[in-house]
Amino acid sequence: MKDTLLIIEDNEQNFYMMRFLLEKNGFTVIGAENGPKGIEMALSQKPSAILLDIQLPEMDGYAVAKELKKHGELADIPIIAVTSYAMVGDREQVLAAGAHGYLEKPIDPETFVADIIQYLPKNR
Amino acid sequence: MTSQRNTSRFMVLLLISCLTLSAFSDPDTSFAQTDNRTVLVGIYENPPNVFTSESGKPAGIFIDIIEYIAKMEGWKLRFLSGTWVEGLDRLAKGQIDLMPDIAYTVDHEKIYTFHKVPALSSWFQVYAPKGSKIKTILDLDEKRILVLERSVQQKAFVQLGKGFGLNSTLITVPDYNTMFEMVANGEADAAITNRFNGMMQAKNFGLENTSVVFEPSDLFFAAPKKASGMFLNAIDRQLLNLKKDPQSVYYTSLKKWTSEDIQFELPGWVPVIGLISGVVLIMSLVGSIVLKHRVNARTRELKQINQEMEQRISERTEELAATMEKALAADRIKSAFLATMSHELRTPMNSIIGFTGIMLQGLAGPLNPEQNKQMTMVQNSARHLLALINDVLDISKIEAGQLEFSLTSFDLRLSIENVVKVISPLAQKKGIVLNLDISDNTGTITTDQRRLEQVMLNLLNNAVKFTEKGHVNILCRFKNGHYILSFADMGIGMRPEDLPNLFQPFTQVDTGLSRKHEGTGLGLSISKKILDMMGGSISVESQWGEGSIFTVCIPETTGDLP
Repeated sequence: MKDTLLIIEDNEQNFYMMRFLLEKNGFTVIGAENGPKGIEMALSQKPSAILLDIQLPEMDGYAVAKELKKHGELADIPIIAVTSYAMVGDREQVLAAGAHGYLEKPIDPETFVADIIQYLPKNR
Repeated sequence: MTSQRNTSRFMVLLLISCLTLSAFSDPDTSFAQTDNRTVLVGIYENPPNVFTSESGKPAGIFIDIIEYIAKMEGWKLRFLSGTWVEGLDRLAKGQIDLMPDIAYTVDHEKIYTFHKVPALSSWFQVYAPKGSKIKTILDLDEKRILVLERSVQQKAFVQLGKGFGLNSTLITVPDYNTMFEMVANGEADAAITNRFNGMMQAKNFGLENTSVVFEPSDLFFAAPKKASGMFLNAIDRQLLNLKKDPQSVYYTSLKKWTSEDIQFELPGWVPVIGLISGVVLIMSLVGSIVLKHRVNARTRELKQINQEMEQRISERTEELAATMEKALAADRIKSAFLATMSHELRTPMNSIIGFTGIMLQGLAGPLNPEQNKQMTMVQNSARHLLALINDVLDISKIEAGQLEFSLTSFDLRLSIENVVKVISPLAQKKGIVLNLDISDNTGTITTDQRRLEQVMLNLLNNAVKFTEKGHVNILCRFKNGHYILSFADMGIGMRPEDLPNLFQPFTQVDTGLSRKHEGTGLGLSISKKILDMMGGSISVESQWGEGSIFTVCIPETTGDLP
């Protein structure tokens, strides 16, 4: 069965690239361009993992992560922050907000899919 | 003026004290029976001791004393005026009973009889016209000196003159008035008199006392040789009584004749000094008033200046606080800018690098060789651009003091091996062997792992990059709480003149379009700054054409950041 991955990302090119890479590797990809829509999709679709951008309009990635954690039924779904924030403390802050993993943009297309796979529940 | 008067009073009191002491020491205090005898006293002009007052009556200290004694003893007094010499003659012949104010001398003792308690103590003093310049006894040489005929002064001065080898003309005169008049008229240069007389009279003739003083003597009432001891004892007894009592006639008389009625001759300098002092005092007062006025004015000015200053300071403080706030705001803006830049630049870079990679992987379809070559160029340029962005952001953060360390303790050996693993593909591609030599005492290190690895990565990457063939040696030693890491390559090396600027930003030895080694030119600069912040250091040894050795020294534990 194909794993469904949710990408919450407002940048169209980045979303397209990640979806392209993941679909090439057999994943089903759903997407949301903002936080509230992402939370709604997470609750309705129950994806295998959530790829979360931090720099989002209105509701940022930290707030989205915290909100997702409030829902018990989503507790087991890993959140992987994919962010171009590269300032000191970003990683710690993201993990503190409830993310399980952290990938720094720009992503390396050669390793990106492998990095995602390692966070999936069946691989943990 | 006052001080001079006080000095005089002091002198008098001192004198009286001496007299009193000698009086107490006198054993003869027996009382004699009073008799109703008449005592004839010789009078001559020797104020204030004895003289004829303006009303024609005898007056003076001796007169006061003898009048008191007479009253106490029940004597009747009669006076016979004459000159000093006449008086002495009369006394010698027994024509008078007493002569006042006679100094006790051996010669006088031969002719007269003396009681024992001195009535007064005196000395001789030279008086001269004002401005005479007679200051010492030697100044009396070649001068015409007046002295009372047959007086003790005469004899004393003759002896004194001989002693000092003076060749002065001594003129004897019958009385003090004549003496002073002659000096005042210029018929003589100086007069010798006793202290009391000089004090009282000399000034009236325009004379002043010189500092020439000699022959202190005790003054008595002298009596003829035939005078009875009872009579003389009575005088002594009464003198003792008088001297014992501070309120007695003796003291009131002394006070009256020497302090109150008598103007002391002041030394010439006293009024001058007094005048000068007065003028100075007035000037001082005026000056102080003017000064006070000026000080007040200046104080007001200063107060005003002070207030202005305070106001300015408070304004400047506010400005400074505002500037500070602006600076802090600017700092926050810079932080925000860096974060935004980081994000905004990486997001498109993400797409560029990502899609390039996808295409080169053939995930979007097969590429022909030319397409593959060009996409590789895009990828390299994109990666270089990303490296530049990262380095510029690092430099900005360091210079803004915003590079924060996340300190952890980790195994340094594993960390080094991790870095080697990252560079290995590049080395293998170039056929370069990486030799790892890590000493056994290498353990954990406490610092920012990511930043230390950034430094090691930079140095190892450089070593491999600049080495065409051969090997790169990586050494790790632990010594004195510090880890020493060295990266030795067999690369192109550097000229000595290239070394000083090596750690400056954007310094690349191989510059220009012809350069074949890509890099941002910021790596070593960032590495050095990071090591500085860790309390470490970096140094380089290089031989042109033979290779370079970069050596890093880093403390086992990175302390608190300043």
